Amino acid sequence: MTERNNMNPKSHLIESLIGLGATMLIAAGLGWYMLNEPTRIVSAQQEVLAIQLDEAMTLYAENCAICHGLNAEGIGATPALNNPALVTMPFEDIQKTIARGRYQTAMPAWSLLDGGPLSDYQIDELVLLIQHGDWAETGNRVVNLGLAPLVPFTTEADPALLEQVGALPDGATLQTAVQLFAANCVSCHGADGLGTSIAPVLNDEDTRAKTADELTRTLTYGNTGTLMTGWSNTLTPEEISALITLIQRWQEMPLGTIPAPNVPIPTTEESIALGSQLYATNCSRCHGPDGQGTPRAPSLNVQSFFVDRSDQAIQQIITSGVPGTAMPTWGDRMTEAEIQAIVGFIRQWESTAPEVATLTRPGGGGPPWRNNSTATTQTTLFGLLPINTTNPTISTHANGSTQTSTLLDWRILLLLGILLASAFTLISKGLHTLARLKR
Amino acid sequence: MEEQTPQPEPSLFERMRKRLTPEGVPADDRGRMRMVMESLILHIHPAKVETTSMKWTYTWGLGGLSALLMTILGGTGIILINNYTPVAPQAYLDILEINSNVWFGELIRNLHHWSANLLIVVTVLHLIRVFVTGTYRPPRELNWLIGVAMLLLVLGANFTGYLLPWDQLAYWAITVGTSIISYVPLIGQWLTQLVLGGPEVGANTLLNFYSMHISFIPLAIFGLMSYHFWRVRKDGGLTIPKSSKQTEDPKPERVTTIPNLTNREMIFALSWTAALLLFSMLVPAPLEGIANPALSPNPAKAPWYFMGLQELLLHFHPLVGAIIIPSLAIAGIFLLPFFDLNLKSVGVYFRSQRGRALTVLAVGIALIATPIWVLLDEYLLNWTLWLPTWDTLISNGLIPLAVIALPLILLDDRIHKIFQADTEERVLFIATFLFTAFIVLTLIGIYFRGPGMNLYLPWNMPVVVH
Repeated sequence: MTERNNMNPKSHLIESLIGLGATMLIAAGLGWYMLNEPTRIVSAQQEVLAIQLDEAMTLYAENCAICHGLNAEGIGATPALNNPALVTMPFEDIQKTIARGRYQTAMPAWSLLDGGPLSDYQIDELVLLIQHGDWAETGNRVVNLGLAPLVPFTTEADPALLEQVGALPDGATLQTAVQLFAANCVSCHGADGLGTSIAPVLNDEDTRAKTADELTRTLTYGNTGTLMTGWSNTLTPEEISALITLIQRWQEMPLGTIPAPNVPIPTTEESIALGSQLYATNCSRCHGPDGQGTPRAPSLNVQSFFVDRSDQAIQQIITSGVPGTAMPTWGDRMTEAEIQAIVGFIRQWESTAPEVATLTRPGGGGPPWRNNSTATTQTTLFGLLPINTTNPTISTHANGSTQTSTLLDWRILLLLGILLASAFTLISKGLHTLARLKR
Repeated sequence: MEEQTPQPEPSLFERMRKRLTPEGVPADDRGRMRMVMESLILHIHPAKVETTSMKWTYTWGLGGLSALLMTILGGTGIILINNYTPVAPQAYLDILEINSNVWFGELIRNLHHWSANLLIVVTVLHLIRVFVTGTYRPPRELNWLIGVAMLLLVLGANFTGYLLPWDQLAYWAITVGTSIISYVPLIGQWLTQLVLGGPEVGANTLLNFYSMHISFIPLAIFGLMSYHFWRVRKDGGLTIPKSSKQTEDPKPERVTTIPNLTNREMIFALSWTAALLLFSMLVPAPLEGIANPALSPNPAKAPWYFMGLQELLLHFHPLVGAIIIPSLAIAGIFLLPFFDLNLKSVGVYFRSQRGRALTVLAVGIALIATPIWVLLDEYLLNWTLWLPTWDTLISNGLIPLAVIALPLILLDDRIHKIFQADTEERVLFIATFLFTAFIVLTLIGIYFRGPGMNLYLPWNMPVVVH
């Protein structure tokens, strides 16, 4: 019986070859993939670890660096994390410490289950960082994100006033306490214990009203959930009790015993010019061209900024940034001389600074949807033609570069060309055929 | 003495083979035809097929490819189930594990991912093929309905599967996608609560989607698929294509299914499997960081196949953009075989020469009109500002809808009057226009929408860094 295969032999051959080719491709592909699989798995695992460590470094910068330090070296009595003992510690122990906090220390519970901000996955990533991470790289990440913690500064007690303190009853204890405070506490609790933005006033009636027991407990074990750490590792019980005496008898002390460092930065015409230039390129975008401030950053050209703020304090802010705000760390991008030039430039506004900041706020304030005509933000049609709309949009690239493309960009021409050419070809072809059919 | 030579006992293997598989392919046509008739699997084919319906350029093998992809998805899916826990955040860790600690894990996941995405494209193309050849007409209306239902199920399967990796991409795409449900009138909130298992996408949503993804949806697709195949045979097999110039049916030449059709099917399946396998070896499926409900990406986009819908939402009141227009579209697709009834042009691509010209015209007009309308609506039209006292459902919903529908109706009327197009050609024109417009909207949504869902050129797309 003849085979009724109506396919012609040529196409039959082609189809058979395609089938054979596909089968061989599958076999060869799977074979190659299988040989490659062990290598792939190893590299995939390294990739996963790298990604998790990368995410962990950002988490560390955002959550941990302020207490545990730039390179996990520990600040004050907060323990260091670059400790080799932690590498061999069981994974679960570290994880539990981060998730649930550590009782009687400043370490709060970080797990979402315990009211913290971190998920279990993020906590696992942090444990990975502690056990496998590179702390130098982590430090760079912290600095790059502008989250470097304040470098604790210390002061020297005023010698003349320290003499006076010595004359008070039990003066020797007070003198010791003053020196301890100047060496350890002044960076957070401020000159004369008057407080700063990160720690409360100690030199007031409320604190003095507390019992010695309560103060001792706070100093020894810290205040959980705050930056206040337990000092029992750093200070002896005698030193702690001396500090308690100081806190309770602060009203007897002359003001200025524990000063903030204040040595005006010398300026020259050149340094002011340099400062002006650096300010214009680095600071004016957020703080305004004349330091008036913008919605992004506070006003600098105002009396309240200069009052009680030494040049060292301003230099400190620029160098280390302000954690938790948009103010980045400039210390890694500028030399000390450059930062001091900026401080000098800012300082010369003091004589003319107004009492109330003339903040430049587009639209004169109010909620964004009630903006009047001056508040229209300029958006652009594809970033090309300026068009006014009331929708706030992002008009610059993430890297801050401004768009300079024009309508003559070849890619736009190509896109429009292909679109218009194909559309008009189709339309004319269709209409042509239709016209012919009608006749 | 005569000794009876004992017949050698057939081996166990031999007996099993005899019982379970046919003894080779018969050499004659009759035997091969009987083989088709007697086999449940092969019985989805007739014993003989028309040579004209076997042409690649008639069906493009789209239905068969869909079935192949479903098979691959089922196979890879079962393997993936064994390595997956539908619990947040373990789900994400399991995906990392599959990618980095399971032999062939990444390949299987890539295969599953790319097959699923290809399946959407292929089923939509299959629908278009059936539409432009007009083969949904009587007696095949029911099979058209089954097919459209399966397309919706495939979209559902893809959407539920999208959430399972539990990464940022999945979490926010599903958050955006499911937000559309809340625009359903009256029961929107309740329905969202039901689908998500809570007020927002969370652990319950993951479990809900997983259950649907691995049980109900595949079962329904499998059932409907079998029904679909059966109805193809019941409705007289594939429609026989006629060249539009022929008026009467020529006697179609018929050949046996084995080996003519089965060979081709085998080659087709092998080629596609090879292509998919190689693609999956080279291109990894996307995976971002773990889902973080506190950190929404900008822009937050739905899965790519819903970007056309999301684009509509940017231009219309949600009730119109998310509910009325899609409902009308789906209803229209379902109803097609009931008012487009001309049996003469069944199996002819684009129905007639006039139909072909009208299709080309519709694509051309839609290619120009859609981007222009998007730009106009983005930058110039501001209905809510012009009609401040009107309800936004009217000012930003029904009015723009009417503004779009009116020229379309006029255009349809002109085509009817000037070019004497009949119903089937007008249906073709309108459907082609709307479908092209939807594709353009989808492309705009995927490639031209950037931060804040504003328009950007793809090569000037700003990246918002957190």
